[in-house]
Amino acid sequence: MIDLFSVLFLVAGALFFLAGTLGLIRFPDVYTRLHALTKADNVGLGLTIAGLALQAESFSVVGKLILIWGLVLLAGASVAFLIARGALQRGVLPWKR
Amino acid sequence: MNQKKSVNSLLIKVVIFALVWWVLTDGHLQSWLIGGVAIVLALWAAKYPPSDRPVHFLKLFLFLPFFLKQSLLGGVDVARRAFQPKLPIDPLLVECSLRLPPGAPQVFMTNMVSLLPGTLSARLENSVLTMHVLDQQGHYMNDFRVLEEKVAEIFSIPVASTEIGERL
Repeated sequence: MIDLFSVLFLVAGALFFLAGTLGLIRFPDVYTRLHALTKADNVGLGLTIAGLALQAESFSVVGKLILIWGLVLLAGASVAFLIARGALQRGVLPWKR
Repeated sequence: MNQKKSVNSLLIKVVIFALVWWVLTDGHLQSWLIGGVAIVLALWAAKYPPSDRPVHFLKLFLFLPFFLKQSLLGGVDVARRAFQPKLPIDPLLVECSLRLPPGAPQVFMTNMVSLLPGTLSARLENSVLTMHVLDQQGHYMNDFRVLEEKVAEIFSIPVASTEIGERL
């Protein structure tokens, strides 16, 4: 039963990573690509972590996984902001429909 | 801030740092010799830069479900757009003046905006946050104000007027 949930979480997580990568390739400019990377990959990682946490041997391993997720979230949001700000400063215009 | 509150906040920090140490070391008994020193050092480091806006830990904890829900929605939203052949996006740069004071509250807000569905922080200058919106037909402004009020609660900041973000 636990294995089943693990598999579901991991497959769903992989789908989000796929979506993030697809967005990175398909979206037209740096800003929209950042949207795809930060949001889809964060959810992908969250689901992967959830799937792995179900298989963990102890609570401290679960804690470590959650800690990793939190740090990646923080780093992802900060770096996305810095890249977007850098693009604005260089005068990169956002793509318009 | 009164004495009792600052003792409470110190205690919560000790518990959090101890928990992190326990997670990192699997709670081996000997490790607490170093862990104790590490916790004291972490408490000292947490005082810099000094903040006159203490974090309301209970409110921060209550923020978690909202945060998880919003970031999941954000991921689903952008994934859906990436998969669709028509690529349904209609981006826009928007400037919003923040009702939060400079420092930790604004930085926290800036980071959280990037995890909301369809918005990405791109610049923070003079209390004005420039964000990139993935779809200007969406209700991003409403989401933004709701988030801002939640962040204000975490830092115990009263927010009153609701200004509408200007279009660039």
